[in-house]
Amino acid sequence: MADMDYTAAQDAELVQASRQGDMVAFEQLVARHRDKIYARAYMMMRNEEEAIDLSQEAWVKGWQRLVQFQGESSFTTWMTRIVINLCLDQLRKRKRQRAESIEAMEEESGGVERQMPVVMVNPTEQMERAELRVRIDEALGKLSEAHRTVLVLHEFEHMEYKNIAKTMKCSIGTVMSRLFYARRKMASLLQDLKTSE
Amino acid sequence: MKEDLQMKLQAYLDGELSAGEAKAVLGWLAQDAVARNLLVELTNTRAALLSHESEMKVSDSREFYWSKIRRQIEGEDKIVIATKRISLMDRIHRLLVPAGAAAAVFVAVMLALPRTNGVGDGFADAGDAVAFTYHNYDSGTTLVWLDYPAENDLSEMELDDTLDL
Repeated sequence: MADMDYTAAQDAELVQASRQGDMVAFEQLVARHRDKIYARAYMMMRNEEEAIDLSQEAWVKGWQRLVQFQGESSFTTWMTRIVINLCLDQLRKRKRQRAESIEAMEEESGGVERQMPVVMVNPTEQMERAELRVRIDEALGKLSEAHRTVLVLHEFEHMEYKNIAKTMKCSIGTVMSRLFYARRKMASLLQDLKTSE
Repeated sequence: MKEDLQMKLQAYLDGELSAGEAKAVLGWLAQDAVARNLLVELTNTRAALLSHESEMKVSDSREFYWSKIRRQIEGEDKIVIATKRISLMDRIHRLLVPAGAAAAVFVAVMLALPRTNGVGDGFADAGDAVAFTYHNYDSGTTLVWLDYPAENDLSEMELDDTLDL
């Protein structure tokens, strides 16, 4: 471990060294992937401070559970799952504190959004990358936690409906419904942002 | 458009349909302009979201961000060690408590026996290894048990004989 070139080492090598208690190797993994883990937490929580805290908590859990990492997925995928679960726990806790239930939340998917007219023009076409990022970020912030979570798990984590249902403890039908609503709402929000220029 | 058709269209986009179902949706799309437009909208939204990936960065410095993680890891390690120590003590306690209780009962019985012998009803060894006496002070009666192996053997033999008959 002493003569290991941490900067050049592959993730798998760093994971192996970390398992043996090498915190320098683990720090290298954190440095490499902290932005991705933080970005995922932020996307779900919409709060910078909370996202930082949860991402750091995820790294601590990652260290404690390294023996459970079998290498079936990439290390970042594994770490992302950890931070997502922490975010979901936090969101549920927050809902309980508000005396609400994320599962019992009224499905907005049956409302106006399902029937609204289709956005014919691609609202994100010809946008600069930075501008697009800002707009999508704003639009994501306008979704409810449940709808945003489904969107994040599907579009960014590429999870199948059944896995999202398992993670969110709801039915596949609810997942499909929330995802549909979330997408349509996003299209509408992006259109609004474009036309309001 | 009905809800189930909307869901089917979305499932088609997400590759969640079987080959047969996907073929049916393709046939439907060829005839339905509204469905085609909805599919375009959903596809555009998905593409826009995918381009949003990995743009955000932690604003804290590498050292500062790591320092909190390290402190927590080191703190947790100390807790684990302390828990292990407590667990060992717990195990010792689990063994010692019943053993101590049994010892206390034994001592109490040993202390109580000679006292009852002198005050009221009691058993006493009559000097013979196989003879026991019981004395009731209230009624002034004394019972003596004589237990000789030869008699026991004989009794058992007699019992066996009886059964044989």
